[in-house]
Amino acid sequence: MRAGTLVFALLLIMPTISGCITDIIDSGFENDQVTGPDTELVIVTYDVSGLTDSMLAEFENQTGFEVTLIKLGDAGSILDHLLQHKGAQSADLALGLDNTYLQTAIDAGVLVEHLAQVENLSDSALEPYDGPLAVPFDQGWICLNYDTDKVDGENLTIPISLWDLTQEEWRGRVVVPSPATSSPGRAFMTTTTDYFSNDGDNSTEWTDWWSAMSDNDLIITSGWSEAYETHYTGGYGEWTDGHIGDAYLTVSYCHSPGVEAYFGGNWTHSAALDLDGASFHQVEYVAAIDGGNLIAASAFIEYLTSESVNANMPIENYMYPALDGMDLPEPDGYRYHSIVPTTSADVSMSTIAVEMDDWISDWNAAVL
Amino acid sequence: MKNIGDKLSVLIFSSIILIPLFLALDRLVWVAGFDPVRWFSSIEANHLSQGSVGFTFLQAILSTIATIAIGLPIAWQLGRYKWRGTGLMRAVLTMPFVIPSIIAAMGFLAFVGPHGMGLRADQDTHLWTLIIAHAWFNMALVIRFTEPVLSTLDRDLEDQLRLLPGGKTFWGKLKNLWIPLLTPSIAAAACMTFIFSFTSFALVRWITPLESTLETVLADVGERAGILGYEEYTNDLVLASSLIQFTVMLASLWLMSWLQEKRQSLLPQASENSNLKPNPRGLLILVPGLFFALAPLVTVAWSSFRIPVREQGELTYHWGVEGWIEAWSGGYSNTGVGDALLNSLGYAGITLIVALPLGWSLAKTIHELELSKSKWARILDVFTMLPFAFSAVMIGLGVLLGILKLDGELNSLWLLPVLPHIMLTTPFVVRIMLPAFRGLDPSYDEGARILGLSHRARFWKIKLPLLRGPLLVAITFTLAMSLGEFGASWVVARSGEWDTLPVLIDSLRSRTGWDPLIQPTAAAAATTLMLITLLLFLTVERFRPKGEGGMF
Repeated sequence: MRAGTLVFALLLIMPTISGCITDIIDSGFENDQVTGPDTELVIVTYDVSGLTDSMLAEFENQTGFEVTLIKLGDAGSILDHLLQHKGAQSADLALGLDNTYLQTAIDAGVLVEHLAQVENLSDSALEPYDGPLAVPFDQGWICLNYDTDKVDGENLTIPISLWDLTQEEWRGRVVVPSPATSSPGRAFMTTTTDYFSNDGDNSTEWTDWWSAMSDNDLIITSGWSEAYETHYTGGYGEWTDGHIGDAYLTVSYCHSPGVEAYFGGNWTHSAALDLDGASFHQVEYVAAIDGGNLIAASAFIEYLTSESVNANMPIENYMYPALDGMDLPEPDGYRYHSIVPTTSADVSMSTIAVEMDDWISDWNAAVL
Repeated sequence: MKNIGDKLSVLIFSSIILIPLFLALDRLVWVAGFDPVRWFSSIEANHLSQGSVGFTFLQAILSTIATIAIGLPIAWQLGRYKWRGTGLMRAVLTMPFVIPSIIAAMGFLAFVGPHGMGLRADQDTHLWTLIIAHAWFNMALVIRFTEPVLSTLDRDLEDQLRLLPGGKTFWGKLKNLWIPLLTPSIAAAACMTFIFSFTSFALVRWITPLESTLETVLADVGERAGILGYEEYTNDLVLASSLIQFTVMLASLWLMSWLQEKRQSLLPQASENSNLKPNPRGLLILVPGLFFALAPLVTVAWSSFRIPVREQGELTYHWGVEGWIEAWSGGYSNTGVGDALLNSLGYAGITLIVALPLGWSLAKTIHELELSKSKWARILDVFTMLPFAFSAVMIGLGVLLGILKLDGELNSLWLLPVLPHIMLTTPFVVRIMLPAFRGLDPSYDEGARILGLSHRARFWKIKLPLLRGPLLVAITFTLAMSLGEFGASWVVARSGEWDTLPVLIDSLRSRTGWDPLIQPTAAAAATTLMLITLLLFLTVERFRPKGEGGMF
C-alpha cells in the first residue's frame, strides 16, 4: 500500500485522532519509519496496575487503535520476552522496563526511536536515561521499609548503617526479594554494590555484607509480593491469608508507607528508612519495539505521558508521575508518609548492563 | 496398527508432544552447551534451587502417604456400603482434583490462615499444610481408582473366603483378599499422586513460600532461558530440573502402566453390588471427608462476599457483592469474568474437539496392540502418558521456546494456548478410555458382525452405547482440566485479551493487596470457575452408569 493511501485509510478510521498524533503519522511517513497499516497495538507489559480497562478504552476511543496486552511477571519478564522474540517480535510497545533492564534492551537492539512528542518530563525522571529509545512514565525510590511497632528504639533500634542489620538482634528479621528473580531485589542488590564501594571501608566488599546477612538468617524470597505481603509485619500483608509475619524490615519503595496510609485511612505502622546511599532511584519506561507498529506505539507513549493520564500514576500504579511539577496526592497521608531519600545510589545504566551477570553470580556465591 | 486413522492419531500425538519439547531442548542445549555434569551440579550451586531436589521428593512422598491415608477410608465407605446421593458425593469428592490449584491454594490459605482456623501459625506448619493440601487435591485419585474395585467385588467371593481357614479372621481377610485385591489400584493411585505432588506448582508457591521444588525453579527461571548471552545459568537449571523430573516421572508412569495392567487382570468381572447394606457409622468417615473436600472451596466462595475494611489499623468486615461487581466488570483487570469465562469455554471446546477423538483413537490402538500381544502396547501406553512426565510449566515452556524456534509470529496466535491444553488432556482421555476398551466384551461386536452390521453401524449401535459412561467421563474431565489449566497457559501466553479464567484469577491474586477489594474480587472469579466445574461434574454423574470407574 502506498503511503498516501495509508494515511487516508488511517484518517478514515481515526476520526477523533488528535492533531499531535496526526503529526506523528505524517512525520513517520516522511522518515520512512512506518511499518504498516496496522490498527492493532500489542503492548508487552507486566501487571502494571495503571493500565485499567477504562484507560485503555479511552485510548482506543481517542485514536482508533485496538489494544492487546501481553502480560508478564515483572520488568525482567518484559526484557526476557523482548530478547526471546528478537527478530520476530509479536508486540509493538514495551511498557515497564526499568533502568536496571533498559540498557540491556537497548544494547540488544530490540527498541526503536519513537515518534511521540513528549514534553515536560521531570529532570529526575530523565536522570538515568534521556535518549530517544525510551520515555519515562513513572518513577519511585526503592529503599528499606521497617515496622515501627517492632523497630521502636527499645526492642530494636533503627539502623543507621546496613551493617547494623548483620547484628544478632536482626537475626531472621530481614526479608529481601532475590535479585535473580525480582526487579526490586535486583535494584537493591545494585544499591549495595554502590553503598559499600562508597562507605570508606576498603577492607570489605558488598558481597561480604550479603554473606554476613545470609549468616544472620536473611530471608530471601522469589518476588516482592512474597517479601512484602507474606513476611513483612509492617504492611498490608498482615491482613492477608498467607501471611507469615516474621520480618520487621523489607525492601520496598520509599513511598510504600504512603500507599499503606492511603488505603488504611491515614494510618500505617510502616516507615521508609532514609539511609544515605541505601536507596535506588527506579524509573520505568515505555518504548517502541523494533519491527512493531511505530505509529500506534508512539500514540500510546504520548497518551501515557499526557498530564491527565500521568497524574493518575500514584493512585493507579502506586508510583510517582514522570512529569515535572507533579507529586503524590496529599489525601489520607499518602504524601506525608512517603519520603524521597536524601542520597540514592549512583550507578549508571551502562554499568548495570555490563556488570549484572557477574553481580548475580557473586551475590549467589555470597548467600549460598 | 491396522488402519490409517490409528497411525494418524499416533503421528499427531507424537508431533504435538515431541516437536515442541525437542525444539525447546535443542534451544536450551544450544545456549547452555552440552555439559550434563554442570547442569546437574548447578542445582545445588544456586541459591534459587538449592535443596529443591530433596524438598521435591520429601513433600511428594509424604503427600502420597497422606493422600492414601485420607482417600482409602472414604473409598471403602463409598464402595462397600449403601448411601443416598452417591453420585453427588462422588462429584464433590472429585471436585478438588479438577479445581485449578491456584484456587486450592487460595482456599487452603483462607481456611488455615490467621483469619481462618489459624492453623498455619508458623513455618513449622507450612510443610504439613502443603501435605494436607496435596492430599485434598489428589484424594479423588485414590477414591476413583479403588472405589470401583470395592463396589464391583462379588460378595460371594467374601462368603466363600469366610469358609476357608485363611478368611476367618480380620487379618486373614486382609492378607488373603483385600491386600492382593486393592494393592494394584492403591499403588497406581499412589503413582499418580506422587507425580502430581512432584510437579505441583501453585500450592507450593503459595503455601511453602520459603521452599522450592523443581517445578517452582522451572517457573522462576524458565522464561529467561534459551537466550544466548543473557543469564545463561538459567539454562543449566532448566535442563537439570526438567531432566530429573522427566526421569522420575517416566519411572513412575512405567510402574503405573504395569500396575494398571495387573489391576485389570485381578478385577473380578462382576457388576456393581446392588444389595449393599447401609452403614450409619460410616458417616463418621464420609461427613468429615466431604467437609474436608468442601471446606477450602466454600471458604473461597465465602471470601468473595466478605469485604475487608481497614481503618486506623483495625480490620473489619462487612458482607457485600462488591467483589463480584468488580470481577464481572473487569475493574481490576483487563478482562472481566464473563469474557474470561467465554475464552475458557472456547479453549475448552476446541481442546475437546481435538483431544477426545485423539485420545479415543490412541486408547483403541493400545488396546488392539494389547490383544495382539505386541510389545508396542506398553511402549505406546507409556508414551501417551508422557505429558504427565513433563510438568505443565515445562510443557508451556516447550511450546513457547519450540514455537519461537519455528516462527515467532505464531506466538501471538490466539489459538496457541490450545496446544498445551491438548497435550495435557489427551492423556486423561486415554487413561479413561483404555480400561473401558479393555472391559468391553468382544462377543457383542462379533455377534453384530455375524448379523451383518457394517463397521459404522456396529460403532453407533454397539460400541458407542456400551462406552457412553466412560466417554462422558472423558468429556467432563477434558472440559474440566482445560477450564482449570493454569501452569502451561501462564507460561505460553498471557495476552490480556485472551485471558482464561484461571489466568485472570492468578492475575488478580498477584496484584498488590493494598486495595482491600482485590481479595474478594479474586475469590469471586474463583467461585465462578468452581461453580462451572461443579455443574459439569454433577451433570456427568447423572449419566454415568453405576460402577463405571475407569481410571476416574
